[in-house]
Amino acid sequence: MSYERTKIADLIDGTIDHDTLHKMLSTPKDEERFETYLEILQERVPWEDRIILPLGPKLYIVQEQGTHRWVIKSQAGHVFCDYRENWKLHAVIYVRESQEQLNEIYPELMAPSSGWQTIREYYCPLSGDLLDVEAPTAWYPVIHDFEPDIETFYRDWLGLEVPDRAAG
Amino acid sequence: MSTVQPSTREVQVLGIDAGGTMTDTFFVDSLGEFVVGKAQSTPDDESVGLLSSSEDALALWDMPLEEALPQLQTGVYAGTALLNRVVQRKGLRCGLIVNQGMEDFHRMGRAIQAYLGFAYEDRIHLNTHYYDEPLVPRKRTRGVVERVDMFGNVVIPLREESARKAAREVIASGVDSIVISLLHSYKNPAHESRVRDIVRDEVAKAGKEISVFASVDYYPLRKESHRTNTTILEAYAAEPSRETLQKISNSFKEKGTHFDFRVMATHGGTISWKAKELARTIVSGPIGGVIGAKYLGETLGYKNIACSDIGGTSFDVAMITQNELTIRTDPDMARLVLSLPLVAMDSVGAGAGSFVRLDPYTRAIKLGPDSAGYRVGVCWADSGIDTVSVTDCHMVLGYLNPDNFLGGAIKLDPQRAHDAIKEQIADPLGLSVEEAAAGVIELLDSELHDYIRAMISAKGYDPSSFVCFSYGGAGPVHTYGYTRGLGFEDVIVPAWAAGFSAFGCAAADFEYRYDKSLDINLDQHASTEEREAAARVLQEAWLELTDNVLEEFRVNGYEAHQVQLQPAYRMQYRGQLNDLEIDSPLAAVASEEEWGQLEEAFNRTYGRVYAESARSPELGYSVTGAIMRGSVPIPKPRIPSEPLAGKTPPSEAKLGSRRFYQDHHWVEAQLYHMEALLPGNEIEGPAIIESDATTFVVPAGFRTWLDKHRLFHLQEL
Repeated sequence: MSYERTKIADLIDGTIDHDTLHKMLSTPKDEERFETYLEILQERVPWEDRIILPLGPKLYIVQEQGTHRWVIKSQAGHVFCDYRENWKLHAVIYVRESQEQLNEIYPELMAPSSGWQTIREYYCPLSGDLLDVEAPTAWYPVIHDFEPDIETFYRDWLGLEVPDRAAG
Repeated sequence: MSTVQPSTREVQVLGIDAGGTMTDTFFVDSLGEFVVGKAQSTPDDESVGLLSSSEDALALWDMPLEEALPQLQTGVYAGTALLNRVVQRKGLRCGLIVNQGMEDFHRMGRAIQAYLGFAYEDRIHLNTHYYDEPLVPRKRTRGVVERVDMFGNVVIPLREESARKAAREVIASGVDSIVISLLHSYKNPAHESRVRDIVRDEVAKAGKEISVFASVDYYPLRKESHRTNTTILEAYAAEPSRETLQKISNSFKEKGTHFDFRVMATHGGTISWKAKELARTIVSGPIGGVIGAKYLGETLGYKNIACSDIGGTSFDVAMITQNELTIRTDPDMARLVLSLPLVAMDSVGAGAGSFVRLDPYTRAIKLGPDSAGYRVGVCWADSGIDTVSVTDCHMVLGYLNPDNFLGGAIKLDPQRAHDAIKEQIADPLGLSVEEAAAGVIELLDSELHDYIRAMISAKGYDPSSFVCFSYGGAGPVHTYGYTRGLGFEDVIVPAWAAGFSAFGCAAADFEYRYDKSLDINLDQHASTEEREAAARVLQEAWLELTDNVLEEFRVNGYEAHQVQLQPAYRMQYRGQLNDLEIDSPLAAVASEEEWGQLEEAFNRTYGRVYAESARSPELGYSVTGAIMRGSVPIPKPRIPSEPLAGKTPPSEAKLGSRRFYQDHHWVEAQLYHMEALLPGNEIEGPAIIESDATTFVVPAGFRTWLDKHRLFHLQEL
């Protein structure tokens, strides 16, 4: 089974119809989905590096052209770091710690109590795109969300050839 | 159906079942003989499919439409006009007035509406849940200040100014109709009725034409989501559907009919398209078969019937016990919870058109839940379908005649089916195409078999006290498979199985039914005064509902004295969870002694439905609802009765033979022409009995005989 390329594009855009979405959710995944998905994303980014894994709506692990290093890169083109590092430590960060700062983004009386919770917003230094938000207790370290085993994923799960990676 | 052609045939009754896949028509003449027509459904303009299905049927009598239609005395329509409108959200622009602070309950749909109609695995798979667009958006919903509690007491008086403000705002939002539904209004209608009058007053002041629907005037029933949804359906979809039904009625009138079509309704009766409550026509097709089975049972003396219907998309099972249907009062349809009386039926989404797929990880064969519907399967080249359907499997196994599907209306290509099964199922499993296809059929049969067994035993019955009726276009193909080993008293396949739902529609009473929720509670040792008071409450409810029923008939030109009224009530032992619907033995109740007769009637039914020893009068009694049904006599199809011929089928019934795959090898199955078989004939398998619209499979190990009513009886040897 497979879906039209435009359906996968609708899925990415969040404009897919309910019936197809329901079918996608309740039947086994179509084999070529991942490749189609990446192809569509690749067309939509302004740079030429090969996308290896999407990390968020505007954030990717890519194979840098020329060097073949695997790095984390934003839609706008900012390279954060090696793909095994926590990119958030290289982002522009805004921390909402005071009650006033928290109140700004919640309806009246609905904001969490400062001191119990803090909200950290991670921005792209180039474009100012909001790339991620985390809401831990105030003292908690920056969370490293995802440390993917890309080699296993490509080779054993998808049966695809693992893209070249420069040692380092 | 007779081989003798009467010189002057008089066609009397027309039954129509416009399903999602096929449109069936069923014509009955004055002698009770009938023909069945089939055509593919035409959802865009239903009358096209209806007329071509009629032509198909009448061709068997060599009658043109123009000759037959003027002779008809009555016609019943069952179809999906209203349902489609709701599903596609193509209704009118409505406003909604509810209690202030409750403006969101309609779109919240009791949370359950997020997964209604889903298969079990999707229900527990939260990611698939979603809410449909509400019938009335939040922005056209307003609240009024008032509150009536669950006992009917006024807790907060109605603030009339809030009702006026709500009315003015809703009117200003440019609506076609306004629905009013306040909490517990079924218990105390005063506030809601007053709000309705205020809204009408504001509509008049605004100089607009906006219809106003108060839930108490339509469905005075508990459960506000159900009641509100149902009232909204009236405002949202009933009027446009009335136009559709009128259009169908008119397109037949142009061809010569001179009556108004009646429409099959959820409660199992038929109503006029002029009816006040039209929402109950939302589902009707599958009910027709149950009504038909009940009618046959009453006429021929089958009291306990398990009705089973296989169409292209689903398998529907309903039970008739002691000639009585079960009525469910809060069903769901089109992903909406509703307050409609519905003939209880259980469905599983597996039918003849279900898609067959392999799970790529477990390699298990999976059926449905989606289906090819009217597009049949890969074997139909024009279908545009490339996934194997159950029909494709039947095709390669020799069950179906590729040149006589729908009487040859569409040509099917077994090779296409063969290739698709090979590629999609057989090769990945390392099986031959026959083995793979037979595995699919076996899987479907065992799913249906388990399902029907569970249905019957879950209700505490034994199949040996039931006669199983098997119908629907694809029913007789599977009958042997899902009844095998269950030990039914008898298994019956009507020769007109394909048009059985349409037959049932034609056999349904012209009947209106109104319901009202009540909360009567009586101790076992209740005093005379308490019992008389209870009788008064019930009697008042019956009188109120009688007015509604008589008004419906008045609109259709019937006087009160022509209407036969049947009051009923829903009763349960106090504290129990399930009530039973009981036809009242009395036309009216007033005294303690008469009340006692209602309790006795309930005790008798309870003993029959569950067990004598389970009766618990010591708990006292609750009455949860009053019901009034009214009907007028109408012509019905007569069940055929023909003289018995010998056991051996006439030679002209034999159509040669076809290769048929059973139990891992090919056998030669004798083919018969269903219409040419005579009552009394006996056939032993392997045999396939073909007609234009259905195929009855009798494998080796089975025998069938045709009785004088043209019912096939299937026996295991």
